[in-house]
Amino acid sequence: MTTVQSPTPTPTPERPARPAARSGPRVVVRGSGAHRAAQAVVLVLLAAVVIWGGSLDPFGQGQLTRAAIFALAIMGLNFTTGYVGLLSVGHSAFLGLGAYTTGILVVNYNQTAISTIPWAMLVCFLVGLLVGIPALRIRGLYLAMVTLALGVAFPEVVARLDGLTGGAEGMTIRRTLLRPPDWSGFTLGEKDAWLYWLTIVLLVVTFVVVRNVISSRYGLAMHAVRQDEVAASASGINVAAIKLVSFGVSGAITGLAGSLFAMYIGSLFAEGSFTVLAGITLLIGLVLGGERTLAGPIIGGLAVVLIPYYTSGIGQGQASAVLFAVVLIAVIFLAPEGVAGGVARLARRWVVVVDKRPESIGRGR
Amino acid sequence: MLKVSEVVLDFGGIRALDTVGFTVGDGEICGLIGPNGAGKTSLFNCITRIYQPDSGSITFDGTDLLGLRRHQVVRHGIARTFQNLALWPKLTVLENTVLGAHSLATPRLVPSAVAWPSTRAARKRVDLRAWELLERLDLLDLASHPAAGLPFGTLKRVELARALISEPSLLLLDEPAGGLTHAEVDELAAVVQGLQAELGFSVLLVEHHMGMVMSMSDHVVAMDFGRTIADGTPDEVKRDPAVVAAYLGTAA
Repeated sequence: MTTVQSPTPTPTPERPARPAARSGPRVVVRGSGAHRAAQAVVLVLLAAVVIWGGSLDPFGQGQLTRAAIFALAIMGLNFTTGYVGLLSVGHSAFLGLGAYTTGILVVNYNQTAISTIPWAMLVCFLVGLLVGIPALRIRGLYLAMVTLALGVAFPEVVARLDGLTGGAEGMTIRRTLLRPPDWSGFTLGEKDAWLYWLTIVLLVVTFVVVRNVISSRYGLAMHAVRQDEVAASASGINVAAIKLVSFGVSGAITGLAGSLFAMYIGSLFAEGSFTVLAGITLLIGLVLGGERTLAGPIIGGLAVVLIPYYTSGIGQGQASAVLFAVVLIAVIFLAPEGVAGGVARLARRWVVVVDKRPESIGRGR
Repeated sequence: MLKVSEVVLDFGGIRALDTVGFTVGDGEICGLIGPNGAGKTSLFNCITRIYQPDSGSITFDGTDLLGLRRHQVVRHGIARTFQNLALWPKLTVLENTVLGAHSLATPRLVPSAVAWPSTRAARKRVDLRAWELLERLDLLDLASHPAAGLPFGTLKRVELARALISEPSLLLLDEPAGGLTHAEVDELAAVVQGLQAELGFSVLLVEHHMGMVMSMSDHVVAMDFGRTIADGTPDEVKRDPAVVAAYLGTAA
């Protein structure tokens, strides 16, 4: 039950005492002009990157689409593994389930690709709730084992249901079936550009939704469940409900990524794209980018797509895998809390964000 | 009114609570004393559903607490603090306090996801109340500080703020003075008494600091070896031979 043990205040290690210059970090009040301006600058920079991506050559744009899809998948993983602390190794299954839901509905039932997205999310939400049930009783490595089993079982199940999924031979979604809807203004030839913008829009929407949840009191409750369940339940938090729902939402977000992945890749092979290795890739992206940060999954998505691409250009064959591993180890050593976490830690040396006091409280500062 | 009767709790072969019974009236401060291992915290954990008693009953205002799940206890107006602290170390003092209001205004996922106006209004209300309590408990300057790394006595006050924000009708305090200096103990007693007079909740107070217990309590229950050995006014309990024996040993 004891979570806070140190009876004496420990000096913050990253801020060495400098007796000469007494210039502590700058204090910025949340929601103040300076805080809003900083946020606006970041937004403008991101918008610039997105527009630049829209003007790239098809290959570069495709890589960005892929990175955005992985960012979405990692955002889903972050929701439960990051914030609630339920370790999942098998999120590849949700990616695959979303992809196959879209594939089956498009190929076998003549649905338009975009209309399958809600179904993919719903199926993954329900399966996520089911998988969340063991998480009520077990945690840590034991839960990782259960989710590992899910990740291992998924390609096998796909192979078994060959009438629906094409089995081991895979499933091909013809390009004409992925025609952009008429209202979008994109032609069939511009399918890749359409998918880029669709992915970006859904990424932004998901980002805003996750941000809203995490900054709300519901998000605080998720943190509370991760850090101390006894304290959480004593404060009236239904620990079981938070765990189950977070797993469901997590599955739905990763399923959304899976659905987009099906449209992107066009041909689905469970043994190729949705093995446990993919699940581990998502975890690597999460840890690299930064668990429990909003920017982390986006950095992670870029990392797991772009780093292997560039390292494969440097070395040949096995060498590229080794280079990828070296980059990974370097990041873990330099910033154990991931890139986003590391940057935030550095930034706290200069700027600290504090909550705004209501006017009626204290005599102001 | 909290009514504990005939509660028995076994851990394997060890009987932690042996037919414990007493009541805490509305608006009353009840002290619960006893040597280490007497079963005080075990009893707290039975009331807050962390332990399941083997027999006996615990009711609060007519509600059978033993039929509730852990997170429902606070919804019925019972909030607690912990002997060894159970805060969320990475959350700030303000966030720790805000979370205490979870039972009063339970946040829902979908309205939170779309930042629904009523959700924002509730957040604002809860935030304001949290700030008021932090001011009351002299924690204003630490509001944006993570709980980890703060002194033990400060964290005790954070736990108190978290418990109070749920607007309890019964407050369970498990050794609130543990690890505090004399001045801090007096200050804490004054704050609890002040808030109690203002808000009218009742208190069940486990404490080894006899000065604090005897000066604050309306009535005192003494326990030893899992049994209630005395129950009465502070003066009566102080003089009770069984209590003296429990603390000092029996006369030869």
